[in-house]
Amino acid sequence: MSKAATFLKSQVGRKIATGVTGIGLVLFIIVHLLGNLAYFAGPEAINTYSYTLHQMGPILWVVRLGLLAFFVYHVWLGISIWLEKRRARPEGYSVYASRGGASRQNWSSRSMVVTGILLLIFVFTHLYTFAFHDFATAIHDGVEMHDVHQRLTEVFQNPVYTIYYVVIMVLLGMHLRHGVWSAFQSLGWMSRKSNPIIYSIAFVLAVIIALGFIGLPISIYFGLV
Amino acid sequence: MTIHLKIWRQKDRNTPGKLVDYTMDDVNPDMSFLEMLDWLNERLMNEGKEPIEFDHDCREGICGSCNLVLNGMAHGPHEATAVCQLHMRKYKDGDTIVVEPWRAKAFPMIKDLVVDRSAFDRIMTAGGYISINTGAPADANALPINKYDADLAFDYAACIGCGACVAACPNSSASLFTGAKISQLAHLPQGNPERKRRVVNMVDKMAEEGFGDCSNFAECEAVCPAEISITAIAEMRREYFNALSEIE
Ligand code: HEM
Ligand code: SF4
Ligand code: FES
Repeated sequence: MSKAATFLKSQVGRKIATGVTGIGLVLFIIVHLLGNLAYFAGPEAINTYSYTLHQMGPILWVVRLGLLAFFVYHVWLGISIWLEKRRARPEGYSVYASRGGASRQNWSSRSMVVTGILLLIFVFTHLYTFAFHDFATAIHDGVEMHDVHQRLTEVFQNPVYTIYYVVIMVLLGMHLRHGVWSAFQSLGWMSRKSNPIIYSIAFVLAVIIALGFIGLPISIYFGLV
Repeated sequence: MTIHLKIWRQKDRNTPGKLVDYTMDDVNPDMSFLEMLDWLNERLMNEGKEPIEFDHDCREGICGSCNLVLNGMAHGPHEATAVCQLHMRKYKDGDTIVVEPWRAKAFPMIKDLVVDRSAFDRIMTAGGYISINTGAPADANALPINKYDADLAFDYAACIGCGACVAACPNSSASLFTGAKISQLAHLPQGNPERKRRVVNMVDKMAEEGFGDCSNFAECEAVCPAEISITAIAEMRREYFNALSEIE
């Protein structure tokens, strides 16, 4: 146990943990995104999807708790790395500029803690809107279940919530533009050759994830589904 | 050419510093940046003023002594160039250059543009060496090392220990320097016996000296005069993971 604690407290261990929790969260949101797509297949598909998840009982709770632990740990690491950076340079430069070239400093990497904290706030509001909501019920094939379809349709009629959601998904894309590449580097899965390839893949993945999440609210708001 | 300089002047660690304006007329474009500072210092001394302290030694990009941040970039605007190798012809007539020292808690101020980089020496002392007795110089080909490892070890060994990686890093992390030293030895058979201890001790030391965590900004690679790749940092992480058995 103390070995693990020493490892996780070291600067390298902290990075590896940021990468592992980050990738875990990315895998989760990919599954979440695929689940959302069920909306496009109609009320029965998405309601049954949600119902099936809820029938998983203990497994669902294990996943939920695991996810919560990853999330809390990730947030704690992200914020503590940011605090550490402020401590490590008490007097800053009067002029500071990136050299460009090999540098990965950009709007995405420099704003990780900001996009991260906004994502954190979003998660609370998101759970409030969709998880802790008193759903209406729908009956499919004689089974009574939460009418998730109705709730989604209702929420994304609201322009304010729709805009808020879209903006946050853009920020998620920004977080992942640097994050996905960074996680590979953190886990040591990087060579001179693979570096630019992984950096490009991270960009494509970030765009796909952001657009994927934006698709649903936009389609509902403009009545495309 | 005329160059306007704003140079950080600070009497000592406990006195607050500030940027001071100097204008140099008739700068020869063939001068190096440091030669221009020499010239400015000569002028200051002739006027009976305190010269500007700055670090330098070889002036040919190999010793790692020079350390100036020019307009916010460690070693100035040119890639793969230590500031001693930067020539004034890279600037335009009338340019303004802000000159600051490396800034990091782990590199405390000494005077003006000179900071104390002995934290790097202490990271080296923690494991950046081979302590087994290697005896008399061996025959060059007695210990075969494949080309791939030899090339990588050589690339990493090019680090001159200047500290630009720390200066340019938004987090003041020493990961590139430490990673280069660890990875260099990890690719050579002589480095093998102490491989695990080395990475654990050097990584611990780097945190203890007050350098920040790495956020993979890769700014270090962009400013490194020896063009050390951040692959050195990825390798350091793999080495650390493989050294789990040595962690207490
Ligand atoms: C949707 C949820 C999230 C996902 C999918 C995610 C994903 C990631 C990934 C893949 C990384 C790269 C890890 C690495 O460099 O090793 C990362 C880094 C980071 N994340 Fe998140 N993250 C999420 C939420 C958050 C939240 C809520 C925060 C709150 C503070 C946050 C803060 C950070 C920070 C600051 C970093 C950079 C760490 C560093 O400086 O190295 N993230 N994230
Ligand atoms: S890694 Fe590059 S920038 Fe850092 S100390 Fe070595 S030579 Fe200087
Ligand atoms: S003075 Fe030796 S590297 Fe610049």
